[in-house]
Amino acid sequence: MKTLTTWWGEAPWVIRWQRMSLVRRRQVWAVVLLGVGLAFPFVVTGGGHVDAAANAYTWVVLALGLNIVVGFAGLLDLGYAAFFAIGAYGYGAAASGQLKIPWSDVWTPLLWLGQVRRVPIEGGGELVQLQISFWAMLVVGAMVCALFGVLFGAPTLRLRGDYLAIVTLGFGEIVPVVARNWDWFTNGAQGLGGVQTPKLFGFDFGFSPFPYYFLGLGMVAVAVFVSFRLQESRVGRAWMAIREDELAAGAMGVNHVHYKLLAFAMGAAIAGIGGTFHVAKLTTATPEMFQFPVSVMILVMVVLGGMGSVRGVVLAALILAFLQSVVLQELTLWVNALGRAVGSPFLQRLQFITALELIFGLILVLMMLFRREGLWPAVRRVAALSREQQSALPSRGAAIELSWASPKSVVVPARPLLEIEGLTKRFGGVAAADNTTLAVHAGELVSVIGPNGSGKTTLFNLITGLTSRDAGTIRLEGQEISGLPAHEIVQRGVARTFQNIRLFNNLSVLENLLVGEHARLRAGPLGAIFRPPSVREEERRAVESALEVLGLFGNRLIPRLDHPVYGLSYANRRRTEIARAIVTRPKLLLLDEPAAGMNPAETLELMDLVKALRGLGITIILIEHKLDVVMDVSDRVVVLDHGVKIAEGKPVQVRNDEKVIEAYLGRRRRVA
Amino acid sequence: MSVAEILLQQVVNGLALGMMYALLALGFTMVYGIIELINFAHFSVFMTGTFFGLTVLHLMGFTGSSASLTGLPLVGMLLLVFPVTMALTGGLGVLIERVCLRPVRGVSGTAPMITTIGVAFILINIVLMIWGPQSKPFPKIIPDRRWAIGQAEISLAQIFLAVAGISLMLVLNFLVKRTALGKAMRATAQDMDAAKMMGVDIDRVILLTFFLGSALAGAGSLFFGFYYGFTAFYIGYQTGLRAFTSAVLGGIGNIPGAVAGAVIIGLIQALGGQLLGVKWTDVIIFSILITVMVFRPAGLFGTQTPQKA
Repeated sequence: MKTLTTWWGEAPWVIRWQRMSLVRRRQVWAVVLLGVGLAFPFVVTGGGHVDAAANAYTWVVLALGLNIVVGFAGLLDLGYAAFFAIGAYGYGAAASGQLKIPWSDVWTPLLWLGQVRRVPIEGGGELVQLQISFWAMLVVGAMVCALFGVLFGAPTLRLRGDYLAIVTLGFGEIVPVVARNWDWFTNGAQGLGGVQTPKLFGFDFGFSPFPYYFLGLGMVAVAVFVSFRLQESRVGRAWMAIREDELAAGAMGVNHVHYKLLAFAMGAAIAGIGGTFHVAKLTTATPEMFQFPVSVMILVMVVLGGMGSVRGVVLAALILAFLQSVVLQELTLWVNALGRAVGSPFLQRLQFITALELIFGLILVLMMLFRREGLWPAVRRVAALSREQQSALPSRGAAIELSWASPKSVVVPARPLLEIEGLTKRFGGVAAADNTTLAVHAGELVSVIGPNGSGKTTLFNLITGLTSRDAGTIRLEGQEISGLPAHEIVQRGVARTFQNIRLFNNLSVLENLLVGEHARLRAGPLGAIFRPPSVREEERRAVESALEVLGLFGNRLIPRLDHPVYGLSYANRRRTEIARAIVTRPKLLLLDEPAAGMNPAETLELMDLVKALRGLGITIILIEHKLDVVMDVSDRVVVLDHGVKIAEGKPVQVRNDEKVIEAYLGRRRRVA
Repeated sequence: MSVAEILLQQVVNGLALGMMYALLALGFTMVYGIIELINFAHFSVFMTGTFFGLTVLHLMGFTGSSASLTGLPLVGMLLLVFPVTMALTGGLGVLIERVCLRPVRGVSGTAPMITTIGVAFILINIVLMIWGPQSKPFPKIIPDRRWAIGQAEISLAQIFLAVAGISLMLVLNFLVKRTALGKAMRATAQDMDAAKMMGVDIDRVILLTFFLGSALAGAGSLFFGFYYGFTAFYIGYQTGLRAFTSAVLGGIGNIPGAVAGAVIIGLIQALGGQLLGVKWTDVIIFSILITVMVFRPAGLFGTQTPQKA
């Protein structure tokens, strides 16, 4: 413990603060900041600042929405303003005299609800005038935007991320064009006018900035709360896993198309809410309000604050909104006045507000070059382990056991757990799997060996659905699994590790394991946000389960629970990856060179664990190059060469097999 | 004019436009082919190129009101202004790569793309500061000669655009297919690490790719100026997006595909504008972009889908 030397170090409130739990501290922060926010309009003088702050809150909400897409899920959305526009025009059209629809009786129910009026027009006939409630349109706008998000996202999110950037850019371009040209709905370039202001229990928000300020503050509070709740949930972990490594996320049971779409739709919905609020406040909407630079400005807020960092994004959005509405304008006035005083026409003409986009560009480039994690990064810094902790002797867990696994020694089903028949995969002219047939029984530990390039990893990729087969079948417990997406194969009980470790680097050890539990957990976005007791219980059990698995590695990983995995040693990263696979509770565990890069002692430790896992009834297929290890632990050894299974049998048999020796050492010249 | 003749006229116009998009699309596709980066700064390099060209022309004494040239002076002037402008935009591309993109090369995720967006904004605003927001007339040095094809017309500028565009593309094709540099570029595109181990100086190859791509964009800038007769700070975005659509249509990373895609986009713009109204042109083009990405992400001529490894 570091000793505090500052004057306040011993003060009782400091001590109390230090003893508070993280959750409690956050609650204190929330109360304090909300108090400041509520007091703000009564402290500052003049409505101008209150108005500027209310506008700033719109940007904060939008930035938090984009942060879900860009920061959490790692999808670059360059047309975010399009959703903002859809929300804005949606409310604008539903609450103004823009739409000229002839009256028909269809509208009667809405007339009763007071949402439309009948307006007689000159020359006979009647029109419907929409005056839909702001509160209803908040919901409708969010839903319509989410729908557009899904429509555009669904086809493109299957492709790699770059394509999304382009499609969203195109979408962001189309929407203002439509707004400019679809006169009937949008009133074209002049824009919608005369939008009605929100009403709440008879109170009209009118044109005073104060009600909008408080509504905006409420929206920010909700958006922050939702962001934090999502981030620390099954949903948020799935997003971050996709952001860190999409392929590994799939191999851990995350349906990446589904979750990307969810992020995209939620971001769009928040933009729709922001747009509705914005138009209600301004009572007008024009196409210029939603051009590309607006999308970029929101992106700048996310990048400046730190992608994925909720507090950073809020701070950055406030800074940039303040810069735009106050600093640059005040600076311009000040410099122009200076110019008049010193008689310099140049200074008199200077307009700093035009430099705003230049500043945006500079922020984007400089942040990417020098501080990619943002001003206030999401990744918490964790104290390094002390010297004693680092040099502590590796210890084993007391006993290797898992609550959910037990040796199934009694009944071995007649049918093999895994049956592969005629499996073939070609890359160009090279066969990585050539009519391979393999059966693995429950409880077995089978090793796959073979020279480099013999198709071992391809075999794993085929089993786990990362590579599609050309021919053949793969059955797990009699069920065909080839052709299923990777995340469904995990759900059926196959987990793997990767030859070149694929962890979620910016997530902690614990979070990596919790992603591994993704397929077994149930919480959806609503559960994540409202966190009912069932979700709390589920999370508690998930952490418990992760700790249980980490315990298998003794004191290797437990002290590093909250450390981001990029900082771990190579061996510990391997262990984390193995733990992440175990925590999915697999029936079949595929380990791809788990001992690579480990020293002999660490290798032995690992192999003891592998044997223990087998003893717990988990079937294991092991790819390993350290042959002594293989011969020691395996029940059976399969040898591959050029995609063909050239030998199979007990370790001793394989060791003496002519073909195996030949594959490894080359053909021995026969002595005549 | 009959419908067929109107269509013929639009085909001629569309082919000429296609040449300009092709020059721009090549820059996108080459950079993507080699470092898998969508370079949004390319939009702005193109736009800045029009101002470089304008400045070069001004320095040579041509202004918006200059009379057009004929014969040898015209050819000589073009032979001078093209290389200089292309060298300037090429240099700009090199500068961008060296200063802003090399440090983020190999960084996973969205960082490199975000950097290029930042660069695009910086360039636009520098141009805005130097040349102001008003659009600038481009000297009409190519005489307004037209020839009839039936009822349709083809102008000298269009013929000239086609000839110059095709020659530049042939030069590029020669560079990529027949020279050591081209071989190094293709090797780097296939596998950067392997190319490095084989002794290819990939930093230099990437730099040269940016130079070539940006130089072609510079040629496209002059085309834009001569064709439309003006330039302004905002032109890069729309033209760039259309060019990018061309690259995607042809299969991004595929050089001949980009040219074919550009011709298609040029035709769509001309014909679609004629049939549905100019104001919907962008909606048509981006709808095509989205449709292609959804149904043929490898492009019309691509053979393999680019997928994350």
